[in-house]
Amino acid sequence: MQVFFQTIVGGLSIGAIYALVAMGFSLVYRTMGLVNFAHGNVVMIGAYVASTFYMTTQLPFAVSMVIAIVVTGLIGVVIEWVLRPLENRDFDLMLIGTIGFGIVLEALATIIWGATGRAVPSPVPAEPLNLLGIRVRTYNLVVLGIAAVAMILLMLFLQRTKRGSAMQAVAMDYEAATAVGIHVGRSNAIAFAIGAGLAALAGGLVGPLLYVSPAMGGTLGIKGFAAAILGGFGSIPGAIVGGLAIGLLDGFAAGQFQGYSEVVVFLVFTALIMIRPTGIFGERTVNRA
Amino acid sequence: MSERANEPSTLSERANQPSNVSGELIIEGLSVHYGGVTAVRSVSLRVAAGQSVGLIGANGAGKSSTLRALMALVPRAATAVRFGDVDLMRVRANDMVRHGIGYVPEGRHVFPGLPVEKNLMLGAYAQRWNEQVRDTLAEVYEIFPVLAEMRRRLAGALSGGQQQMLAIGRALMARPRLLLLDEPSMGLSPKLIEDILAVLQRLSREGMSILLVEQNAKLTFEATTECLVMENGEVAMQGASQELRRDPRVRKVYLGL
Repeated sequence: MQVFFQTIVGGLSIGAIYALVAMGFSLVYRTMGLVNFAHGNVVMIGAYVASTFYMTTQLPFAVSMVIAIVVTGLIGVVIEWVLRPLENRDFDLMLIGTIGFGIVLEALATIIWGATGRAVPSPVPAEPLNLLGIRVRTYNLVVLGIAAVAMILLMLFLQRTKRGSAMQAVAMDYEAATAVGIHVGRSNAIAFAIGAGLAALAGGLVGPLLYVSPAMGGTLGIKGFAAAILGGFGSIPGAIVGGLAIGLLDGFAAGQFQGYSEVVVFLVFTALIMIRPTGIFGERTVNRA
Repeated sequence: MSERANEPSTLSERANQPSNVSGELIIEGLSVHYGGVTAVRSVSLRVAAGQSVGLIGANGAGKSSTLRALMALVPRAATAVRFGDVDLMRVRANDMVRHGIGYVPEGRHVFPGLPVEKNLMLGAYAQRWNEQVRDTLAEVYEIFPVLAEMRRRLAGALSGGQQQMLAIGRALMARPRLLLLDEPSMGLSPKLIEDILAVLQRLSREGMSILLVEQNAKLTFEATTECLVMENGEVAMQGASQELRRDPRVRKVYLGL
């Protein structure tokens, strides 16, 4: 029983990170109809920037995280700015452009931080917390809490603010959005920046859980992408549910199948997607290509 | 903000306008090329302040392209495109609404995943969402009561006619001085076309300038005072709507005889 609940908490907390990554994928896809293949690498940059400030300059974990979010947010703006001339002209080139950016980011990380990677110490005491008789890692709860706050803030932003409504409008019909006075390019840049900020949050949070290395972008990117697809690509609630589902799957598979856990996770994912190709919340498909 | 006590009461009188009031739309020598194809060739037209002008013609005659070019949604070339004292050749598509130009795109471009009321509020995106915008919303609901009933429904769940009304209502939310409509009757039942006509006539009576692009000549003749007939990207005929409706040549242009 003890192990079961620990697995659930651990799975949910890594799942919350996948959910943050998935939300970035879905947000950019919703607003631009574009899959940002550099997204996983932006997560990795976020992890490095956060851990660098945290470990070498001894800044508090939260402050390092904020710096990482700002830095990667700017990277997001730069990516959008470079790709903007291609918007609504050459969609394939845009996709390839994001792949290119991903490669560049990974190479940059290798140059700056080296290829070996680093372990990040937990910012909270390592001894487990006793919750109603179940011992859970304190850091897992921190991750869950921060991710939950970020998700709520993003939902409120999209649902309640004028800018958020405008971003959704751009996603649904960019020409009508233009006619009512929305600057589509600016809206896309904000989507990219928020997506990248979420990536940095995910990267910063995952540091103490996994090993930070230039190659981590691939793993997290593909898990986050799978989470977004499972939830219904483009759907924000879907990204959250998909992320938590993949995280739980991850946790239980790691316990049961050890070295084969990844295979199991993606086999289950593939089966689920074959049963429901639109994902959990994906009744409507956005297609601007 | 303006004095609320002596505010004029109709949509167009309270139009979101800078100092310049005249607001005549002048298009001279407007052309549109897609790749090597010329969709619009040197079209000139005027819409005086408060006037309703129609642009009719067969499918592919270049009507929509003219409107889209006016909105800067497609690359265009022109001797002059002015609205009042604003040079529209220098205005980006997303700033047209800030110069008092409302646009109802062809084919009911509503925001399907957002509620009706959010769609309407986004029509006033360029303004601060204050009391005045709330007043405009109430007026739009008064013009289209069906939208008020459906305010919380997702726009994508509305019928075709309701979506068309929503698209018009959304454009009205910005209190335009000039309303551009692209085929508002497309796919609607005769009853709904009558409704749309009544709305256009009402807006026109209240002083709004209208440029109506339509395949439905009957509707256009009734909604406008002057019409241009387009054929192969050029203006083939123009004149008073009442005269054109009796002109046998209009029929020829339509049927390509």
